Amino acid sequence: MSGMFPGFLILSAALFAIGAVGVLVRRNPLVVFMSIELMLNAANLALITYARYTDTMAGQIFALFVIAVAASEVVVGLALITGVYRSGRRLDLDELSEMSE
Amino acid sequence: MTVIFGIAAGLALVGALGVVLSQRTLYSALSLVVNMVSLAVLFLLLDAQFLAAVQIIVYAGAVMVLFVFIIALLSPGAEERVHPLEVRLLLGGLAAVVFTLVIGRLTLNGITVAGNGRLHGGLGPFAPTVVNAHGQVQTLGEQLFTTYLLPFEVTSLLLLVAAVGAVYLSKRRRPLL
Repeated sequence: MSGMFPGFLILSAALFAIGAVGVLVRRNPLVVFMSIELMLNAANLALITYARYTDTMAGQIFALFVIAVAASEVVVGLALITGVYRSGRRLDLDELSEMSE
Repeated sequence: MTVIFGIAAGLALVGALGVVLSQRTLYSALSLVVNMVSLAVLFLLLDAQFLAAVQIIVYAGAVMVLFVFIIALLSPGAEERVHPLEVRLLLGGLAAVVFTLVIGRLTLNGITVAGNGRLHGGLGPFAPTVVNAHGQVQTLGEQLFTTYLLPFEVTSLLLLVAAVGAVYLSKRRRPLL
Protein backbone atom coordinates (compact mmCIF):
# COMPACT_ATOMS: atom_id res chain seq x y z
CA MET A 1 0.00 0.00 0.00
CA SER A 2 2.84 2.38 0.80
CA GLY A 3 4.23 2.05 -2.71
CA MET A 4 1.06 3.52 -4.16
CA PHE A 5 1.28 6.82 -2.28
CA PRO A 6 3.58 8.55 -4.82
CA GLY A 7 1.51 7.01 -7.59
CA PHE A 8 -1.64 8.74 -6.41
CA LEU A 9 0.12 12.11 -6.11
CA ILE A 10 1.77 11.88 -9.53
CA LEU A 11 -1.53 10.82 -11.11
CA SER A 12 -3.15 13.83 -9.46
CA ALA A 13 -0.47 16.14 -10.83
CA ALA A 14 -0.83 14.65 -14.32
CA LEU A 15 -4.62 15.06 -14.31
CA PHE A 16 -4.25 18.66 -13.11
CA ALA A 17 -1.71 19.41 -15.86
CA ILE A 18 -3.94 17.90 -18.55
CA GLY A 19 -6.86 19.99 -17.29
CA ALA A 20 -4.75 23.16 -17.24
CA VAL A 21 -3.63 22.55 -20.82
CA GLY A 22 -7.25 22.00 -21.80
CA VAL A 23 -8.22 25.37 -20.32
CA LEU A 24 -5.37 27.08 -22.20
CA VAL A 25 -5.66 25.32 -25.56
CA ARG A 26 -9.33 24.72 -26.25
CA ARG A 27 -11.63 27.45 -27.52
CA ASN A 28 -15.03 25.90 -26.86
CA PRO A 29 -16.29 27.25 -23.50
CA LEU A 30 -18.04 23.96 -22.69
CA VAL A 31 -14.78 22.01 -23.08
CA VAL A 32 -12.99 24.65 -21.00
CA PHE A 33 -15.54 24.09 -18.23
CA MET A 34 -14.99 20.34 -18.41
CA SER A 35 -11.23 20.92 -18.12
CA ILE A 36 -11.84 23.00 -15.00
CA GLU A 37 -13.80 20.06 -13.59
CA LEU A 38 -10.78 17.87 -14.37
CA MET A 39 -8.50 20.18 -12.38
CA LEU A 40 -10.89 20.27 -9.41
CA ASN A 41 -11.08 16.49 -9.45
CA ALA A 42 -7.30 16.20 -9.53
CA ALA A 43 -7.12 18.45 -6.46
CA ASN A 44 -9.72 16.24 -4.75
CA LEU A 45 -7.61 13.18 -5.45
CA ALA A 46 -4.57 14.80 -3.83
CA LEU A 47 -6.63 15.90 -0.80
CA ILE A 48 -8.06 12.43 -0.24
CA THR A 49 -4.65 10.83 -0.74
CA TYR A 50 -3.14 12.99 1.99
CA ALA A 51 -6.16 12.36 4.24
CA ARG A 52 -5.69 8.62 3.85
CA TYR A 53 -1.95 8.57 4.45
CA THR A 54 -1.87 10.99 7.39
CA ASP A 55 -4.85 9.43 9.22
CA THR A 56 -6.81 12.68 9.20
CA MET A 57 -10.33 13.57 8.11
CA ALA A 58 -9.82 17.18 7.02
CA GLY A 59 -8.88 16.24 3.46
CA GLN A 60 -12.08 14.29 2.92
CA ILE A 61 -14.22 17.09 4.38
CA PHE A 62 -12.47 19.62 2.16
CA ALA A 63 -13.00 17.40 -0.89
CA LEU A 64 -16.71 17.37 -0.05
CA PHE A 65 -16.73 21.18 -0.03
CA VAL A 66 -14.83 21.26 -3.31
CA ILE A 67 -17.49 19.04 -4.88
CA ALA A 68 -20.25 21.39 -3.67
CA VAL A 69 -18.42 24.47 -4.96
CA ALA A 70 -17.75 22.77 -8.32
CA ALA A 71 -21.42 21.88 -8.69
CA SER A 72 -22.55 25.47 -8.09
CA GLU A 73 -19.82 26.77 -10.40
CA VAL A 74 -21.05 24.50 -13.21
CA VAL A 75 -24.63 25.68 -12.73
CA VAL A 76 -23.74 29.38 -12.97
CA GLY A 77 -21.23 28.83 -15.79
CA LEU A 78 -23.63 26.86 -17.95
CA ALA A 79 -26.30 29.51 -17.40
CA LEU A 80 -23.80 32.11 -18.62
CA ILE A 81 -22.95 30.03 -21.71
CA THR A 82 -26.65 29.64 -22.51
CA GLY A 83 -27.05 33.40 -22.17
CA VAL A 84 -24.15 34.05 -24.55
CA TYR A 85 -25.55 31.54 -27.05
CA ARG A 86 -28.98 33.16 -26.86
CA SER A 87 -27.54 36.56 -27.63
CA GLY A 88 -26.62 35.12 -31.03
CA ARG A 89 -22.87 34.88 -30.72
CA ARG A 90 -20.72 31.91 -31.63
CA LEU A 91 -19.39 29.86 -28.75
CA ASP A 92 -15.73 30.59 -29.36
CA LEU A 93 -13.58 32.00 -26.58
CA ASP A 94 -11.25 33.76 -29.03
CA GLU A 95 -14.19 35.82 -30.24
CA LEU A 96 -15.74 36.25 -26.79
CA SER A 97 -12.71 37.95 -25.30
CA GLU A 98 -14.73 40.90 -24.03
CA MET A 99 -17.70 40.70 -21.74
CA SER A 100 -19.25 43.97 -22.90
CA GLU A 101 -22.05 44.06 -25.45
CA MET B 1 -4.67 -3.61 -5.10
CA THR B 2 -1.87 -2.37 -7.33
CA VAL B 3 -3.57 -3.89 -10.38
CA ILE B 4 -6.82 -2.04 -9.62
CA PHE B 5 -4.85 1.16 -9.12
CA GLY B 6 -3.11 0.68 -12.47
CA ILE B 7 -6.34 0.07 -14.36
CA ALA B 8 -8.20 2.97 -12.71
CA ALA B 9 -5.27 5.37 -13.12
CA GLY B 10 -4.89 4.43 -16.80
CA LEU B 11 -8.60 4.94 -17.42
CA ALA B 12 -8.51 8.28 -15.60
CA LEU B 13 -5.62 9.47 -17.78
CA VAL B 14 -7.32 8.24 -20.97
CA GLY B 15 -10.53 10.01 -19.96
CA ALA B 16 -8.67 13.25 -19.20
CA LEU B 17 -6.86 13.15 -22.53
CA GLY B 18 -10.16 12.43 -24.24
CA VAL B 19 -11.70 15.56 -22.71
CA VAL B 20 -8.93 17.78 -24.07
CA LEU B 21 -8.38 16.10 -27.46
CA SER B 22 -11.90 15.15 -28.58
CA GLN B 23 -13.21 16.88 -31.67
CA ARG B 24 -16.82 16.79 -30.58
CA THR B 25 -18.10 18.32 -27.35
CA LEU B 26 -20.26 15.29 -26.58
CA TYR B 27 -17.24 12.97 -26.79
CA SER B 28 -15.45 15.26 -24.34
CA ALA B 29 -18.38 14.92 -21.94
CA LEU B 30 -18.40 11.12 -22.22
CA SER B 31 -14.62 11.02 -21.64
CA LEU B 32 -15.19 13.12 -18.53
CA VAL B 33 -17.66 10.49 -17.28
CA VAL B 34 -14.97 7.81 -17.73
CA ASN B 35 -12.55 10.01 -15.78
CA MET B 36 -15.04 10.62 -12.95
CA VAL B 37 -15.93 6.94 -12.54
CA SER B 38 -12.28 5.84 -12.44
CA LEU B 39 -11.62 8.55 -9.86
CA ALA B 40 -14.46 7.09 -7.77
CA VAL B 41 -12.66 3.72 -7.93
CA LEU B 42 -9.47 5.43 -6.75
CA PHE B 43 -11.40 7.02 -3.86
CA LEU B 44 -12.56 3.53 -2.86
CA LEU B 45 -8.94 2.39 -2.87
CA LEU B 46 -8.17 5.29 -0.51
CA ASP B 47 -10.84 4.18 2.01
CA ALA B 48 -13.11 7.12 1.14
CA GLN B 49 -16.31 5.19 0.42
CA PHE B 50 -18.68 8.09 1.07
CA LEU B 51 -16.79 10.39 -1.29
CA ALA B 52 -16.78 7.70 -3.97
CA ALA B 53 -20.57 7.55 -3.73
CA VAL B 54 -20.82 11.34 -3.77
CA GLN B 55 -18.51 11.45 -6.78
CA ILE B 56 -20.78 9.08 -8.72
CA ILE B 57 -24.03 10.78 -7.65
CA VAL B 58 -23.03 14.44 -7.93
CA TYR B 59 -20.46 14.39 -10.75
CA ALA B 60 -21.25 11.41 -12.96
CA GLY B 61 -24.93 11.92 -12.20
CA ALA B 62 -26.04 15.50 -11.76
CA VAL B 63 -23.20 17.57 -13.25
CA MET B 64 -22.70 15.41 -16.32
CA VAL B 65 -26.42 15.22 -17.04
CA LEU B 66 -26.44 19.02 -16.91
CA PHE B 67 -23.47 19.16 -19.30
CA VAL B 68 -24.98 16.70 -21.78
CA PHE B 69 -28.31 18.52 -21.58
CA ILE B 70 -26.70 21.87 -22.36
CA ILE B 71 -24.65 20.34 -25.21
CA ALA B 72 -27.81 18.84 -26.69
CA LEU B 73 -29.68 22.11 -26.21
CA LEU B 74 -27.06 24.35 -27.81
CA SER B 75 -25.80 21.71 -30.29
CA PRO B 76 -22.80 23.84 -31.31
CA GLY B 77 -22.81 23.14 -35.02
CA ALA B 78 -19.50 24.49 -36.26
CA GLU B 79 -17.05 22.55 -34.14
CA GLU B 80 -13.57 23.84 -33.71
CA ARG B 81 -10.89 21.61 -35.14
CA VAL B 82 -8.16 20.34 -32.88
CA HIS B 83 -5.38 18.98 -35.00
CA PRO B 84 -3.03 16.83 -32.94
CA LEU B 85 -0.02 18.49 -34.57
CA GLU B 86 -1.24 22.02 -34.05
CA VAL B 87 1.52 24.14 -32.57
CA ARG B 88 -0.27 25.27 -29.45
CA LEU B 89 -1.39 21.73 -28.67
CA LEU B 90 2.23 20.57 -28.94
CA LEU B 91 3.34 23.38 -26.65
CA GLY B 92 0.47 22.52 -24.30
CA GLY B 93 1.50 18.87 -24.17
CA LEU B 94 5.07 19.86 -23.41
CA ALA B 95 3.84 22.20 -20.67
CA ALA B 96 1.71 19.39 -19.22
CA VAL B 97 4.67 17.01 -19.03
CA VAL B 98 6.93 19.62 -17.43
CA PHE B 99 4.21 20.65 -15.01
CA THR B 100 3.57 17.04 -13.99
CA LEU B 101 7.26 16.43 -13.34
CA VAL B 102 7.70 19.63 -11.33
CA ILE B 103 4.55 19.15 -9.23
CA GLY B 104 5.30 15.48 -8.71
CA ARG B 105 8.83 16.25 -7.58
CA LEU B 106 7.66 19.04 -5.25
CA THR B 107 4.86 17.04 -3.63
CA LEU B 108 7.17 14.12 -2.99
CA ASN B 109 9.87 16.41 -1.64
CA GLY B 110 10.70 15.54 1.96
CA ILE B 111 7.98 12.92 2.28
CA THR B 112 9.23 9.66 3.65
CA VAL B 113 7.09 6.57 3.96
CA ALA B 114 7.66 4.25 6.88
CA GLY B 115 7.85 0.50 6.51
CA ASN B 116 4.25 -0.02 7.60
CA GLY B 117 2.94 2.21 4.83
CA ARG B 118 2.20 5.24 6.98
CA LEU B 119 3.81 8.62 6.58
CA HIS B 120 6.35 9.79 9.10
CA GLY B 121 5.33 12.76 11.16
CA GLY B 122 2.07 14.07 12.53
CA LEU B 123 -0.54 11.38 12.15
CA GLY B 124 -4.13 12.12 13.09
CA PRO B 125 -6.53 9.95 15.07
CA PHE B 126 -8.48 8.73 12.01
CA ALA B 127 -6.66 5.59 10.95
CA PRO B 128 -8.66 3.58 8.38
CA THR B 129 -9.24 0.71 10.81
CA VAL B 130 -10.57 3.09 13.49
CA VAL B 131 -12.79 4.93 11.00
CA ASN B 132 -14.20 1.75 9.50
CA ALA B 133 -14.90 0.29 12.93
CA HIS B 134 -16.86 3.41 13.88
CA GLY B 135 -18.46 3.75 10.43
CA GLN B 136 -17.08 5.89 7.64
CA VAL B 137 -20.21 8.00 7.11
CA GLN B 138 -20.72 8.40 10.88
CA THR B 139 -17.19 9.74 11.36
CA LEU B 140 -17.50 12.10 8.40
CA GLY B 141 -20.90 13.33 9.55
CA GLU B 142 -19.78 13.93 13.13
CA GLN B 143 -16.80 15.93 11.90
CA LEU B 144 -18.94 17.86 9.42
CA PHE B 145 -21.53 18.88 11.99
CA THR B 146 -19.15 19.72 14.82
CA THR B 147 -15.70 20.89 13.78
CA TYR B 148 -16.67 22.05 10.29
CA LEU B 149 -20.17 23.36 11.01
CA LEU B 150 -19.52 26.95 9.88
CA PRO B 151 -18.02 26.02 6.46
CA PHE B 152 -20.91 23.60 6.00
CA GLU B 153 -23.49 26.35 6.54
CA VAL B 154 -21.58 28.74 4.29
CA THR B 155 -21.60 26.06 1.58
CA SER B 156 -25.37 25.74 1.82
CA LEU B 157 -25.63 29.50 1.41
CA LEU B 158 -23.34 29.27 -1.64
CA LEU B 159 -25.60 26.63 -3.22
CA LEU B 160 -28.62 28.85 -2.65
CA VAL B 161 -26.88 31.85 -4.24
CA ALA B 162 -25.80 29.72 -7.21
CA ALA B 163 -29.36 28.47 -7.75
CA VAL B 164 -30.79 31.99 -7.60
CA GLY B 165 -28.05 33.26 -9.92
CA ALA B 166 -28.69 30.52 -12.47
CA VAL B 167 -32.42 31.26 -12.47
CA TYR B 168 -31.73 34.97 -12.93
CA LEU B 169 -29.19 34.43 -15.73
CA SER B 170 -31.35 32.05 -17.73
CA LYS B 171 -34.53 34.06 -17.34
CA ARG B 172 -35.82 35.73 -20.46
CA ARG B 173 -35.20 39.44 -20.21
CA ARG B 174 -38.34 41.52 -20.30
CA PRO B 175 -38.20 45.29 -20.58
CA LEU B 176 -38.85 46.87 -17.22
CA LEU B 177 -42.45 48.15 -17.49
